[in-house]
Amino acid sequence: MGTPTRTYYDIVGDGGSDVLGQVERQRGRIDESLSGVRHQIAVASGKGGVGKSTLSRHLASAMARHGWETAILDADLNGPTQARLGSVGSAPPVPGPRGLVLPRSRDGVGVLSLGAYIPESSSVEFESVAKGESYTWRATREFTLMSEILAGVEWGTLDVLVFDLPPGAERTVQFAEFLGPEVAFVLVTLPSALASGVVARSVTALDTTRNRLLGHVLNMDGYACAGCGEVRPLFPSGETTPLDTERLGSIPFDPQLAQLSDRGGSLDEMPESAAAQAIDNLARKLMNILESA
Amino acid sequence: MKFLCLECNEPMKLYETGPPERGSIEVKYECPNCLHQIAMLTNPFETQVVSSLGVTIGGEIVNADGNAAEQGVSKCPFAAKVAGDAPQESDGTKIPEPGNSPSDEKISWTEGARARLDRIPAFVRPMAITGIEQFARDKGHPQVDELLLDQAKDHFGM
Repeated sequence: MGTPTRTYYDIVGDGGSDVLGQVERQRGRIDESLSGVRHQIAVASGKGGVGKSTLSRHLASAMARHGWETAILDADLNGPTQARLGSVGSAPPVPGPRGLVLPRSRDGVGVLSLGAYIPESSSVEFESVAKGESYTWRATREFTLMSEILAGVEWGTLDVLVFDLPPGAERTVQFAEFLGPEVAFVLVTLPSALASGVVARSVTALDTTRNRLLGHVLNMDGYACAGCGEVRPLFPSGETTPLDTERLGSIPFDPQLAQLSDRGGSLDEMPESAAAQAIDNLARKLMNILESA
Repeated sequence: MKFLCLECNEPMKLYETGPPERGSIEVKYECPNCLHQIAMLTNPFETQVVSSLGVTIGGEIVNADGNAAEQGVSKCPFAAKVAGDAPQESDGTKIPEPGNSPSDEKISWTEGARARLDRIPAFVRPMAITGIEQFARDKGHPQVDELLLDQAKDHFGM
């Protein structure tokens, strides 16, 4: 009998390109770049349009007001909003000693968003030789770009880095696996059966990962009437799917908040509003949870 | 992916990468024992998958167009788009390089400033080059150095 044919696992290396090694070295560069970051939170939801980005922005801003060094990474590459929300993007990218200097909002929150570099009128496109078949490679390309951003930005010393994730239960899990178990998750939902049903899938999906789910936030929980000051129901009352995770806070919908968010304002402009106070309470609660972990 | 010479039961070694053509790349492997060679020829989808991983094959960067990137040339997926949006670009596709952005007044980059540029994500490099060189012109500097980059950081409130 001759020598058995070698299998894939019998052979060390790949003959010269060391593709796996290159991927591992990129991971090492990311770890080094994030070495000064104490906490990482991902704001996610299975459902789109629940206010993840607005909440991420004002949550980070509230934490900064409480003395934390804070930054946001807009991980929604196809619908980036944090540049507008943080009112950054007019300055050119500046290379610093250890990577791209992090642009800052007026209230001192670091903001990295593709929206600062690609006009809102343009879609995010990748060059490709595989025309018309982007579903076969696009997700891979997007995570590679995310790696490049994580490794190539001067994050510096941060108390918290907030990831504003794109919607989708499957995307939530992909990001959990990509970012690693040190990233804790906060899910955002609405008081509607439709949203809670979808977000419940995200709760279940995150159970398959090693990431910690801190809880969920009920956004647009009523309408804060500017006239009478009362908070009234925004969605019809009905059965919602219970979420098997702690409710961290409830944020009422406030048109003034939506308006100031669109122009890159901060909650400093409306500190007494119910929405601002709810977000501030949420920020303090999350800071306590993270510090006690 | 690994290649095995069945005749020798030896793993083949990367020999060279051939000239790319129409989205296909050619990677040659050789058995270190019998010197038998094979070529792996990728179709455009396979090329794209490799490109999407952001890795290099045989020491050459594989661009999204299936071509091996030249030293110092961006492999940025947004390069053309970003360059097209840069205020000084006229053809909408040309990618600025350090000291070579479109302007009558050429600006040079010191080695240290170039090293900083290489460390930022590739997709923002064209905008950084255009913007920083404009900042240098506005300040009357013929050269971009690390001190000027620090000044730009302060100037733009970062």
